[in-house]
Amino acid sequence: MAESVKVLPQDIQEIIEVREWDMRTREGVQRFRELKAKSLPSVALDGDLVYEALIPMQEELIDEIRRRYKEKNRNE
Amino acid sequence: MVSDMFEKTKTKRFIYPTKGVCPPEIHFKITDGTLEEIRFVGGGCPGNAQLVARLLKGKPIEEVLKYLVGIDCRNGTSCPDQLAAAVSATENGRLKPAESFRVHTDPSAGQRIGLIGALEGNIAVLEKLIEGMHAGGVETIYCLGNQTGNSADNHRLIQKLRKQKIYALQGENDWCYAQGQENESMPPLEQKERDWLLQLPQVLSFQMQTKKGIAFFGDYIQRLPDYSDFEPFALEMNMVCGLTDFMQDETVFPALEAMIPQFQADIIVFSQLKKWGNWRIAGKDFISLGPAWDANRLSWGQLEVADEEIEFKIMKAETEGG
Repeated sequence: MAESVKVLPQDIQEIIEVREWDMRTREGVQRFRELKAKSLPSVALDGDLVYEALIPMQEELIDEIRRRYKEKNRNE
Repeated sequence: MVSDMFEKTKTKRFIYPTKGVCPPEIHFKITDGTLEEIRFVGGGCPGNAQLVARLLKGKPIEEVLKYLVGIDCRNGTSCPDQLAAAVSATENGRLKPAESFRVHTDPSAGQRIGLIGALEGNIAVLEKLIEGMHAGGVETIYCLGNQTGNSADNHRLIQKLRKQKIYALQGENDWCYAQGQENESMPPLEQKERDWLLQLPQVLSFQMQTKKGIAFFGDYIQRLPDYSDFEPFALEMNMVCGLTDFMQDETVFPALEAMIPQFQADIIVFSQLKKWGNWRIAGKDFISLGPAWDANRLSWGQLEVADEEIEFKIMKAETEGG
């Protein structure tokens, strides 16, 4: 999953901050529970669980990131 | 790895097996090159041992070694001399930092294993369970803690466990006693009994046919000060305790299944919930032990090899009390 994020285009990389949790650790498990995730791998955007048990197509992920970015910056 | 031994910015905990003195182990920590939390475990003169521990607390190891080495009490050595040997062993790399929790391996490959949940000081229940298990052909008995509880019989129970060939695991109550941090309502125990509880394994590894099993009490192990997520069997404990809430949250079983290929163990037994349960997920058996007694009924778990498969049964026996 992290690999699919790492290969995102540069313009997307510049507007996101990526954090990966290791599910083997207590910290990773805690974050998984906080997000109310059920399966692996899971991707959350801005704290919302968006993809579960699947790796989204790159275009789909890019569209979702752009949509959220625009929404957040609508009033700026 | 060895270079880590000399890293002086991190606390490392050590357990030194002594030679020629009364306490079989010395536990201590080294932080920034100074000694901390020295404890002579399992025998010796508790007053003198505590004095030594207090005097040396926070002292740089190079400063204290000259006072410790060469003192003779018996067998040409002494507790201080053994502490000196222990500290020297950390410096030359012969003594590696202790594991973050204590794992013991049962060397026998059992065909029928009896599993006992929290006894909480109830010696009458233990005696009846042993009788019932032996009558049923159980070869090996594991008591998963808590061995002690709010019971005046804790002392007698410990004596019994020590005499019997039973694997006793440390539970949270037992850990608290070992640290002198038991609940105020719990009856006092002698230092040697606290030391015995301290030395109990926190995880027991065992083998049945081709399957590897582990048994442990519950999530207090994850809260131990030195707990590492990357020690053997930590993953199994993190998944059982943290992810699935002791298998009570079935919604996260898909995530558990995704993590299972990284497990070392095939059978995972725990007892904190005091609630019977058995789950088989992706070829792994998860077993929650219920109470050792309930109303007028004794209960224990039984793992056995049947037709080259591992079977788990809940065994029950009526009793007049416990």
